[in-house]
This record gives sequence, C-alpha cells and structure tokens, in this order.
Amino acid sequence: MLEVRDVVKTYGDRAVVNRVSFQVAPGEIFALLGPNGAGKTTLIRMITDILKPDAGDILLDGHPVSAPGRPPIAYLPEERGLYRKVKVVEALSYYGRLKGMPAADATRESLALLERVGLAEWAGKQIAALSKGMQQKVQLCTALIGSPRLMILDEPFSGLDPVNVQLLEDVLHERRAAGATILLSTHQMNKVEQLCDRALMINRGHMVLYGTVRELRRRHADHAVLVRAAAVPDGVPGVTAREAVNGETKLRLAAGTTPQAVLRALLERGVEIESFAVESPPLEDIFVRVVQEGLGLDGGRSGPPTVDEPAVRGGAR
Amino acid sequence: MRFSWGRALTIAAREYLTTVRRTAFVLTLVLTPLGYALLMFIMIRPQVDQALRAIRSLERMAVVDSSGALDRGATELRTVFTPERMPFGARGGPAAEPQVIRTEVRFFDDAPQAFAALERGEVQQVLVAPPDFLATGAIRRYAESSNVFTGSGVERLVQRWVARALLHGRVDSLRIERATRPGLGMALYTKDAATGAWSVHDESRELMGFLLPFMCSFLIGLSVVVGGQYLLQGVSEEKESRILESMLTTVTPDDLVVGKLIGLGGAGLTLVLSWVAMGAAASGPALLAMGVSLSPALVGLMIVYFLLGYLFYASLMTGIGAVTSNLREAQQFAFVFTFMNFIPFYLISTIIGSPGSPVALGMSLFPPTAPVTMTLRLASQDAAVPAWQIALSIALLLGSAWIALRLAARVFRIGLLLYGKTPTLPEIARWIRHA
Repeated sequence: MLEVRDVVKTYGDRAVVNRVSFQVAPGEIFALLGPNGAGKTTLIRMITDILKPDAGDILLDGHPVSAPGRPPIAYLPEERGLYRKVKVVEALSYYGRLKGMPAADATRESLALLERVGLAEWAGKQIAALSKGMQQKVQLCTALIGSPRLMILDEPFSGLDPVNVQLLEDVLHERRAAGATILLSTHQMNKVEQLCDRALMINRGHMVLYGTVRELRRRHADHAVLVRAAAVPDGVPGVTAREAVNGETKLRLAAGTTPQAVLRALLERGVEIESFAVESPPLEDIFVRVVQEGLGLDGGRSGPPTVDEPAVRGGAR
Repeated sequence: MRFSWGRALTIAAREYLTTVRRTAFVLTLVLTPLGYALLMFIMIRPQVDQALRAIRSLERMAVVDSSGALDRGATELRTVFTPERMPFGARGGPAAEPQVIRTEVRFFDDAPQAFAALERGEVQQVLVAPPDFLATGAIRRYAESSNVFTGSGVERLVQRWVARALLHGRVDSLRIERATRPGLGMALYTKDAATGAWSVHDESRELMGFLLPFMCSFLIGLSVVVGGQYLLQGVSEEKESRILESMLTTVTPDDLVVGKLIGLGGAGLTLVLSWVAMGAAASGPALLAMGVSLSPALVGLMIVYFLLGYLFYASLMTGIGAVTSNLREAQQFAFVFTFMNFIPFYLISTIIGSPGSPVALGMSLFPPTAPVTMTLRLASQDAAVPAWQIALSIALLLGSAWIALRLAARVFRIGLLLYGKTPTLPEIARWIRHA
C-alpha cells in the first residue's frame, strides 16, 4: 500500500505541495488530478523518491520510499523520452537489467511485452524509426517491465489513437488483476470515471477533492433529477426549479425531498416517463468548478484544508 | 535506493557499447590519424622538395672577389642529401643512395661581367666580396629571389664555401674541415640527475627530452578531454531527450553518474589508446632505435594522473551538461575548463626548462593543470621531481576530483529534471545545498 502523510514541499517561500495525505490500496487504480501547476509532478517526484519532501512521510508497504530494498516503482512521466538510436528490444531489456533482471529474462520479457502491445515485429528496429504512438507504447513497456508493484503513469493516453487507448486500458486492467497498484495522473476525466476507483485532486498544492469517484460526483451533485418525458408538469411537490437540459428536464429538489418521492409524484400524475435519473455531474464539471471557484475539501474556499480522509477501499474492482 | 555497482556497470556497459558502435566514433578513430599523417605529408614534403629544388637550381654561382681573400676558393660546391634528411622525399626508402648536388663556381673580374652572366642565365647567383671584406666582413650575395623556408640551405652552402676559400692553402686541410664544420664531432656530456654520472647528451636524446614529455602529457590531456567531451555530450543528449526522469525510479543519480563516467571514459580511452597503438606501429621501431623507453614508475604515475584528471574534468563536464539546456551551450561552458587543461602546453619551455620553478610547481599543484604539468615534468629525462611534490599534487587532485564528483551528482539530479532556461549560479548553489 502507498501511504502519503502530511507531505510538504516548498520552493523558497512557496509551498508547492502543502500537507497532502492519501492512501492507495494494493490492486487499486487511483487518480491524481489537478490543474496545470497544481503540484502533481512534484508530488509524484516525491513518491518516486526523485525529490525529498520537506515534511511528512511517504511509505510503500510500510517502508519509506527512500529505504533500501523498497518494492520497485515504475514511473511513466509526462515529459518522457527514449534512447533513439537503439533497437526497441535492447532499450526495453536495458530497463529490465537496471531493475535487476538477468539479461536473458529481460530480453524474454521485453519480447513478451512487445507482443502484448502489438509491436513484436518492430523489436529489432531502431526506436527512431517508430511513430510517436509506437514510441508511446514502448515507453509504457519500459514502465511495465519487471512487473512493478506500484505504477505511476502521468498522462499515459496522450498521443494514442482510440484503438491503442483501449489496448492501454486492457493492459491496466490486467496489471491491476495481477495485484499492481496504479496511480494515474491525467486530464482525461472520462478515463478517470471509467478506470479509477478513487481520486485525489490538488490545487495550488492543497488537497481539494479526495474520495471514490462515485462519492465525488454525488457530493457535487445539485440535488436534482433528470427526467425525459413527453411533458413534465409544473407544481410537482418538492421541486424548487426546473430547466431544459439537452432534451431532458432538470428538476431541482427541495432540501429533504428524495428523488423517489418526485418519481412517485410524477407517476401519480400520469406522466409517461422515458427515463429518470438522479443528476450526477461529470467529473470534468466538478474539476472545472472546483478549480474556478477555488473550493476546498469542505466545499468552501480552498486554503489549508482540514483533511477528512475517506476510508480506503482495498482492492476495489 | 542506494548506489549499486551492478546498476552502475550495466549503465557503463551500455554507454560504452553505444558510443563505440557509433559511426562517428569509428570515423574519428580511423580518420584522425590518417588526417594527421596526410597533414604531415602535405606540410613536410613540399618543404623538403623546395629545399632540394633551391639547391639544385643553383647550378652555377658567380664570384667577384675584389678583396683577394677568396681567390683560392674551390670551383665546385657539393651538397650531400642522405635519405634521413629527406622524409617522404627519398626514393627507395632509408637504404637508398645519398643524393649529391654539384654547384659550379665561376670567378669574374668585375661585377658588370658577373651581372651580365646573371642576366643571360649562365649563373643563378652572384657573390661580391668588396676590397674591404676582410676588414669589415661585409659581403653581398645577389639572387633572383629567395624565401624564408628555402633560402637558409643555400646560404649555409655559400657560407661554407667562403670559409673554405678563406682558409684554403693557408692552413692544412684537416683544420679547414674542422673550421668549416666545428660542431660536427662535438659531443656534449651532461650529468645524470639521479646517478651523478656524466654521459653523452646526443641530439636524438635532446630531441626526445622534449618530445617524450610532450607526447606523454599530450596523451594525458587528450584522453582527459576526449573522455570529458563524450560525457558532456552524453549528459546533454540525455537531458535533451528527457530520458532521465523515467529512469530515476530504477536507478540513483549516483548509479548514472558513475556508470557514465566509466562507460564514456572507457570510450574516450579506447579512442586515444587506439591512436597510440597506430602511432607506435608506425614510429615504434624508430623510437626503439633511439633508445626511448618509459619506466614502469612513469607509466604508473601517468595512469594515476589520467584517472584523477579524467575524474576531475569528467565530473565538471557532467555538472555542465546537467545545468545547461543544450549541447551547444554546454560546449561553450566546457571550453573554459578544457582550455585550463592545456595551459601547461603554453608554458612548456618553462616547465621543461625550469622544472623546479615556482610556475612549474604551482601548476603541478593546481588541480586543473596538475595532470598535464606533472606528466611533462615526470617524463622530462633530466628532471627529478621531489616525492613530496608528487604526493601533494596527487592528494590535491584526488580531493578536488572527489569534491567535483559529489557536486556533479548533486547538480545532476535536479539539473536533468529541469528543462528550459539555464540556471543562475545562485540557483545552482541552492541545488547543491538542498539536493
């Protein structure tokens, strides 16, 4: 398990990461979110032991990440590169050998990984000869080789076509099934909703969102329902306002009114309902709102937040 | 994570193999000595040819002797060119026959006749000894043209003829021979600094007294610079290609720095040693014939100075490569340090001529100039470098190299993760403090 406790990193008098705490369970896909310049890369660099925190602890399986013999971490940074004038399989097996694998095993696993990502026939070619998307997949393989326990992937989907995005998702699911913990940093919120169990969002170094994706969406919902029907009558008890949204009618509910009560009232009035859903904003809307409004974890203006840690869902699928 | 020799050697092997397999490396390896040999050929061959041509072209010389002092001069001048004096110019190699060039000397009663002959092309030069020649020494020589590279050969020839003409019939022939070539059989004996024994200080030894230290120190300087350049290039490329960040979860900055130092230093050393091997194959027999040999102690100290010098300069290059934003900028900064390595060559006459002087001592102790200066002094045949100076020089260089390595490793970690503008000195100082 990855555990980050009250971590602080300052440059000069500016706190780039300020008292950030979270936990990631084994077998979990966890999203690290935040606008540009929020402190995500600094946080990741501290988790990968590239930078030392000024305060706080970062533990992996209970041991400090800087301790000798800690479990291997794989990191696919956003700013990434490869040795260009090297054969693909040689580049990969080099990473494997650096991770302590015997040369033969490193070559064997490299070839297996290339087969998995559809690059087997390119194994003997120079990296410079590969397209950008292919290089992206080779870079992913450099992170995967050696079967690391913790994988940190920063914008892994950038530069990939939809087919390869699907391939990457499949690979991530396989790794999770094999017990790997995956920390995913991305701006593609649909991928977070699709893949991740929980998410942490930081803004200006502070934690502003932390919880399961479902919880976050529910917590930021407007307490409204979306109804698709031929005609939605006025005067439904417990509804304070209504508006048309993409062919549906959004009904804002009064405090204490449940969606079930509204559904019951509509049916009693003989409304022919095509669809009825509790309104749950997409993560992208929540992201924008939180960043633009500068909200903190408690929904108020962000400052140094009071961290109210949700329970970690171990091994959630 | 802690430093691991296993990872460092894996990195070293990759860096070495990647570098020596590059086309540029192979071309440098082969073309540099070929280019040098071609340059020597182009430079020396025309000089020898021109000197020969200048003497050959003097088929006849007119002499107008108004002083009467030269009236017994020979009517023929002979110049002998042995094969050793004609590098690249001797046909048939060193075993070929010497070439003899003859110049006829014609006496004229007065200058107008001599100049008329010159105008007609019957003679190529005119030598005029005025009536007061013996008293004043003034004598005039007229030639259509002359240049600095070819004129001295002809001048020496004419001087010898004048000397013989002055003495002919007045002293015996042996005295004439000794007087015209007084230095021919002169042997210089010098005292061996170590044993105190007197021994012949022959020309070839004197030449080697300069060449051997020069070659040894040049070898050290070149190895250090070539290895350092490979490191500078390697680190800059790594920074530009942004590979490091993904590697730092697998390796430590120390693994990378040490691996690169070994691998790229090895590549630089391979290059220089290959050149040495080629040079030895080409000129080794000649050097052996001249009795040139390197003592085991000198070779041992050269290795020590190479390793420490390389560690010092390569660490600096690592730091420069890490903090600068691209290779071009890195090379501009690196030039300053590379220049320092070669400063002793600008002062080579002082260092070899006065190995105990304050300049030589100061440069022997100053780490950036110590490897080349000390090699110059140690390889000088007549200089005995005090043991304390060697010990102090090595200690200072070792300490500086260690500090440079530690600073480089600190700067390397942060420098390679920052892209964009080159940091200021206060920023670098802050990295060193906080890394």
